[in-house]
Amino acid sequence: MSEPMIVLDRVSRSFGELCAVDDVSLEIGAGEFFSMLGPSGCGKTTTLRLIAGFEEPDVGRVMLAGEDVTLVSPRRRNVNMVFQDYALFPHMSVAENVEFGLRLRRVARDQARERVAEMLTVVQLEGLGQRRPAELSGGQRQRVALARALVNKPAALLLDEPLGALDLKLRREMQLELKRIQKTTGTTFVYVTHDQEEALTMSDRIAVMEGGIVQQLADPRTLYEQPRTAFVAGFIGTSNSIRLEVSRREGELAVMELDQGMRVVAPDPGGSAPRLRITVRPEKIRIGGSSNGAGSRIRGQVVERIYLGSLSQTVVEIATGERLVVHELNDDEAAAVAPGDQVTLSWAERHSLIVDSDDGPQREERS
Amino acid sequence: MESASLPLGRRHRGERRRSLLRPLAFMSLPMAILGLFFLAPMLVMLVIALQYGILSGQSGFTLTNFSDVLGDELYREVALTTVQIATAAMVIQLLLAVPLAYVLAFKAGRWEIPLLLFFVLADELNPMVRIYAWRMLLGREGLINSALLDIGLIEQPIDALLFSKFAVIVVLSTSYLTYTVIPIYAAMKAIDTNMFEAARDLGAGWWTTFRRVLLPLIAPGIFVALLLVYIPLFTDFASPALVGGTEGYMLGNAVNDLVLESGDLNGGAAMSMLMLLAAGVFAVIAYRLAKIKQLEQ
Repeated sequence: MSEPMIVLDRVSRSFGELCAVDDVSLEIGAGEFFSMLGPSGCGKTTTLRLIAGFEEPDVGRVMLAGEDVTLVSPRRRNVNMVFQDYALFPHMSVAENVEFGLRLRRVARDQARERVAEMLTVVQLEGLGQRRPAELSGGQRQRVALARALVNKPAALLLDEPLGALDLKLRREMQLELKRIQKTTGTTFVYVTHDQEEALTMSDRIAVMEGGIVQQLADPRTLYEQPRTAFVAGFIGTSNSIRLEVSRREGELAVMELDQGMRVVAPDPGGSAPRLRITVRPEKIRIGGSSNGAGSRIRGQVVERIYLGSLSQTVVEIATGERLVVHELNDDEAAAVAPGDQVTLSWAERHSLIVDSDDGPQREERS
Repeated sequence: MESASLPLGRRHRGERRRSLLRPLAFMSLPMAILGLFFLAPMLVMLVIALQYGILSGQSGFTLTNFSDVLGDELYREVALTTVQIATAAMVIQLLLAVPLAYVLAFKAGRWEIPLLLFFVLADELNPMVRIYAWRMLLGREGLINSALLDIGLIEQPIDALLFSKFAVIVVLSTSYLTYTVIPIYAAMKAIDTNMFEAARDLGAGWWTTFRRVLLPLIAPGIFVALLLVYIPLFTDFASPALVGGTEGYMLGNAVNDLVLESGDLNGGAAMSMLMLLAAGVFAVIAYRLAKIKQLEQ
């Protein structure tokens, strides 16, 4: 990453007893679409408000475009925010809302008009400048909020769950739309959401937060395929984990033998933990044993099978009583199984993800 | 609060007839009471205002009561004083009420309801007690003068504190504060506080946020407060009678004196009618403004 646009340097913020943000360090690159993902109360919104300047950190520094802005008031910070419920000014027209920041920055009236019109085109609201926010649909208001922030050409745009109030279909459309606008304007986006699908769809990188701590910071693919903690594995995608005794270690692999020649093989994380927690993504599991003998094979009983259109979801209970979810494409090769059937599940060793929950959260080193 | 005082237009034209009948039926009893005890005396007043010489036996109808009042230089001066005092008191109350409502609505936290109750209770205080309390504060030997004398800021007590325009303005400024605060408070409660952060985020300081965001949004509340408070201020006579002296003589006192001192019931009635007309015109304007502001949002 070249010059980072935003740097959080060991920032903490407590509210009374509650430590909302606990020693967080982040670097967000210029032009990056960066998301902070986590359940409510994980500290993501507080982190965003620290960047915006609405909160001051108890300790740590906030840097914006190479300058220390820790104590700079939000009105003097070159970042703009899109609020959860948009916070549009109801007594002003769309154009007046968008123009608000420009007029305060003493941009000349003609020039301001031009930029407002330009920005309304970017967010596809041409011709609606004279409407009041109350006369717009939810999606349109969302676009006004975006335009009102982006027209000021901020160094970074901060978005606080901006799609939360929209219905699913509109939300999907706006996700693509946001990504398009971000590419068009080249602005750094810092996006807060609790919706993992939303974060995966749009982000270049995602910081998964829990308990005021960044659990893992990585690109969407790495987060999904190499989650580092049980929390990340569970929060991104379906939680699908089993806990097993290690029988022996063979070079790079840890082998967990089970009855009847069944076994689970996983990349050895090192160390000498007697038990490992392993997560397998539902779509990586095959129903029916692989013949070549390598990889994991485990027997279980089908307890549920659900048809999901393009997919079938099968829930299999293994001997330990734990359940694994399997997703299969509904193509010609899909297995025909029914609840009560005994089946063998198999997956390649690289798909056994070690997420030892006793390991605790790991700090993200600077990238 | 405002939505209760400003009825919305009916939605379904087809049901207009039926939907009008029911409320009329509900309202028939209160309307009858209003008609009997409120409108009827007013009509009697109007008739008296148009009569002459009830006491002398040679009576008839005339407009001279009105022309006498309107033509009198002295009354025009009193009217001017009244407008000055009422306007000054209104402005002061608004200047006090907006910050008070702001604190109540956004900053009071768990004290919000107790403070609100306090405002309502403060209004329950008997006006006479309140006015006499002010006399004790403002008088020649009152608390303010003695305090100023004690710290040596003045050498002679300030006489103008009491029995003056100033005294009436001070007393009236505090008498309707509850009715000024509550509509503004109600308007503020409807505001999404994120809007203040949004304004700040876009570069607005507190003054710009106040002028361009808060003030337009509470404007309907301010007009409702005007409607509720300015008219009683304009027609008040207890405060000027007790603390006004000759300088703070208002139209309410003039009516009082015409009827009770000079025994000119016709003149007093005529003046009352004129004041009612002025109040009505003012009410229509304030109502329109409040409604327009509300529709804009």
